[in-house]
Amino acid sequence: MKRLASIVSHPVVGTVCRLLVGGIFIYTGYPKLLRPDDFARLVHGYRILHVDMVNLVGITMPWMELVAGVFLVIGIIPRSSALVIAGMLAVFIGAGFLALMRGLEIECGCFFPFMGGHELGWDLLVRDAVMLLLALQVLVWPSSFLPRRRRAAM
Amino acid sequence: MPRLLQRAARRRQSPRSAGQSHLTGVLVGALALLAGSAALGLVANHFSPRGIPLLPATTGDGEEAPALALPAGLSGIGLEEAKQAFDDQSALFLDARAPEEYEEAHLPGALNLPAYEFDDYFFDLMDPIEEASRIVVYCHGGECSDSIAVAERLVEFGFSEVYVFEGGWRSWLESEGATAEGTGP
Repeated sequence: MKRLASIVSHPVVGTVCRLLVGGIFIYTGYPKLLRPDDFARLVHGYRILHVDMVNLVGITMPWMELVAGVFLVIGIIPRSSALVIAGMLAVFIGAGFLALMRGLEIECGCFFPFMGGHELGWDLLVRDAVMLLLALQVLVWPSSFLPRRRRAAM
Repeated sequence: MPRLLQRAARRRQSPRSAGQSHLTGVLVGALALLAGSAALGLVANHFSPRGIPLLPATTGDGEEAPALALPAGLSGIGLEEAKQAFDDQSALFLDARAPEEYEEAHLPGALNLPAYEFDDYFFDLMDPIEEASRIVVYCHGGECSDSIAVAERLVEFGFSEVYVFEGGWRSWLESEGATAEGTGP
């Protein structure tokens, strides 16, 4: 158990998690912010938010993904960025779970557009859950492979 | 130093209080990040040519209405019009969903042009698309964007009679429209 903890908390693992999760959020956030109309439509497909909230989420969420991803990759307030990303992933998992339980056949809107996002399914929730674990790793054991000044500020 | 101040300084240095202030710092950072990026999004949306209104323009009856009007330059058709076009054979139907979904079931006569693999499929379908007097693109349902993405690409290529079937595959099934299976139309 101790050995597992020492592996999970190792700085190399932390750095890999930070770059991987941050990179994925940059990769998925950027195309969405170019097409807020399409993204808002996908958000509406989940049938969770009131229709009046849909555009606001379509406008702001891609920027939250992108900024948190960039901050995580370059190491600016990494724990706060990891917390934001973990929160968003928890929301994605919850929304996806509710949609699947209600039998909705919708696009997931995860990788978007033309990136093979396809229909929402349990496999996508598992992928989000794995990413959530990686984000939690950064939150709990922030990587020490960061510029010294930022490490001190964490 | 007065005793009270000494006690306060000791409390400030205790690990528990340091941990709490650390946690507060992480939370404050996260909230600042959320607020800052939301503000950035609102400003960018205001100045972007693809910006959208904060409140969507619905068709009037609330939840089931599409979140947004179709992008400028695209026209949509409803279920009745789609059925008419299907019965008259006056339009070529394009299925913008993934190939495996098309294979499972699709509109009889529809060709599969997946939005996510547009470039791989488009050139094989050039002839029937060019011959069609009218093209109707559909995907899962009212809120899906694959049909819009495909229709936009077709418009970019110079096709003018391109329509998005807004109810999509779901409304077709609900209306008990005819279906076909397999990889061919």
